Formats: sequence, structure tokens, C-alpha cells
Amino acid sequence: MPYLPTAQAYLEQSRLLISARPTTTKIITKYTLPKKGRKPKETSSSPPPTSETSHPQQQQSQPPKATLTLKTYDPASGVCLKYSTDKAAEVGRLIAALGTCGRIMAALPAKEERADEGAMVEGDAPVVKEEAKAVQKESGKEMKGGQGGHKGGDKGGVGGGGGGKKKKGKK
Amino acid sequence: MPSEHLTTNEFLSRLTTLFQSRTHSSHGSVYITQKRLSPSSLPALATDTPLPPSSPYPFADLAPPHPLPILVRATDGKSQEDRKDRVKFSTVVQAEELEGFFARYADICKGGMAGLKKRDRSGRKKGKKKGKGGEGEKKKG
Repeated sequence: MPYLPTAQAYLEQSRLLISARPTTTKIITKYTLPKKGRKPKETSSSPPPTSETSHPQQQQSQPPKATLTLKTYDPASGVCLKYSTDKAAEVGRLIAALGTCGRIMAALPAKEERADEGAMVEGDAPVVKEEAKAVQKESGKEMKGGQGGHKGGDKGGVGGGGGGKKKKGKK
Repeated sequence: MPSEHLTTNEFLSRLTTLFQSRTHSSHGSVYITQKRLSPSSLPALATDTPLPPSSPYPFADLAPPHPLPILVRATDGKSQEDRKDRVKFSTVVQAEELEGFFARYADICKGGMAGLKKRDRSGRKKGKKKGKGGEGEKKKG
């Protein structure tokens, strides 16, 4: 299973998977700092098209580029959902989502968590709430989107997550 | 595998230490796994095989009578030849402790994952460098 394009797509699909198979599904959070040997490859060759290029003198080149990879895996059905990021800004939201997933695993009602989650995650609270609503509304629909994603690869996945919603709303 | 689980407090403090040791050695990994702790009282749920269709409760795990605890494991990802000095510990979070646990866990992760890219505010002001689609899509929700 390839990596999902956005955190939102990953979280929605993960919630669905955990809801369907709460006993066997597990979430693996991997935080990796690459070995020093890999670093020169990125810095010595042509600068990568990131925001770093505008401020090469910043200390950002000093720490190695770490990655955070989330994997939701259900060994019973073989479903594996992955998402990888290198942005520190996403950590809070992703961990809060892991808490939501934990509630589903624990068979707790998901509702009251949403309010607390907003307080927990500083800047990203509205996003989380909206997302939660979206998941509730579209839980059936997303399954279709997910299947489309398998067929059409990355492009199909994006359409299922973002574009699909608006169309359905108009109908 | 050692079967003793740490308390959540011990677990979180050891997790902090683990993150710090990664930062100091400037390479390495931290693996954290969370899954439902299958109770032995619900039959056949501890295994990964589905219940037979003749079972009176084929989907008993979808609606258990009471909330279940969550098992959280953490390792430094070392295996095989490095097995001797491998760091590995686990805890069981009761359902009612989940919120508090994840609040503290999120703080530890935010502090511990220092190698990730910081939000680049200077780039945002210019508005030119935001070529990546990821951020924009998320904001839409």
C-alpha cells in the first residue's frame, strides 16, 4: 500500500479501518533521524525546492532531516495505511488523532473527545473538528473513494478525499 | 518479551529519555505501537483469525460490553545484532486514562521530534514559496 497523499486522507481511512477491525488493527508511529552519511546528498547537490533555499544560512541545515511515519496495519485483512511527514507543525495534530483512534480501539464513544481535542491542539483545533464532522458524514462515501484510489493510484486518492466531497454536496 | 508493563508515568518518562537519546546520537529511530489489549474474556479475539460464522457473536469485538485498555509499546527499532542493548518497553493505558495519556504523549512527541522541519514563517509572508499542495488542502479541512 503506498503512502496516502495527505494527513487528512490517512486519518480518515485509519478511523474507518480501526472502526471495522478494532481488535487486530495497530498503529505504528515511527520517528527516524537519518544517518549522517545520507545528509550530504541533500545539501551538496542542487538545493532542494523547499523553503530552506531562501535562507541557506539558517540553522535548518544543521539538524538532520527527520521523518515521522504513521502506519495503520491490520494483519487480519492485510490492509496497510501509511503517511509520512517531515513537518514539525503536523505532530500535534497527528498525535491528537492517534488519541481519537485510541478511543475507537478502546471502544469508547468518540464524541466527547472532540471537544477536549480542540483544547489540546492549539492552532489546529478547528481543522480537527471539521475533519471529525466530515468523517461522520462521509463514512460510507469514503469507502468508495478509497477503492477508486486503489485503481487510479495517487490521483484517484486525492479525488476521493477532496474533490469528491464537493460534488456530493451539490447533489 | 518481558511481560511486565510499566505504569503510564514510567512509560512516558522513559519515552522522553528515548527521544533525548535519539537527539544526542543524531540518528536512529523511535517506534511506538498502539493497539487494543485483547481481553481473554472475549473468546478468540486474542488471535487474528476471524470467528467462525456459527459463533453467536461474529462481531463481538465491534461492540464490547465495556471499554478496553490500550497496549502501547515503544522500541528504538534495534533488532538482530543489536538486540543486546535494545530499548523496549510497554504500558497498558486504561480507557479512562486515555485522554490524559495522549495529552502528555503529544507534548513529549512535540518536544522529542526536534529533527522535523519547523514551520517556516518567513516563507509564508512572501506567499511565493508555498508551492506544496499539502498545507493548503489541510486548511480546507
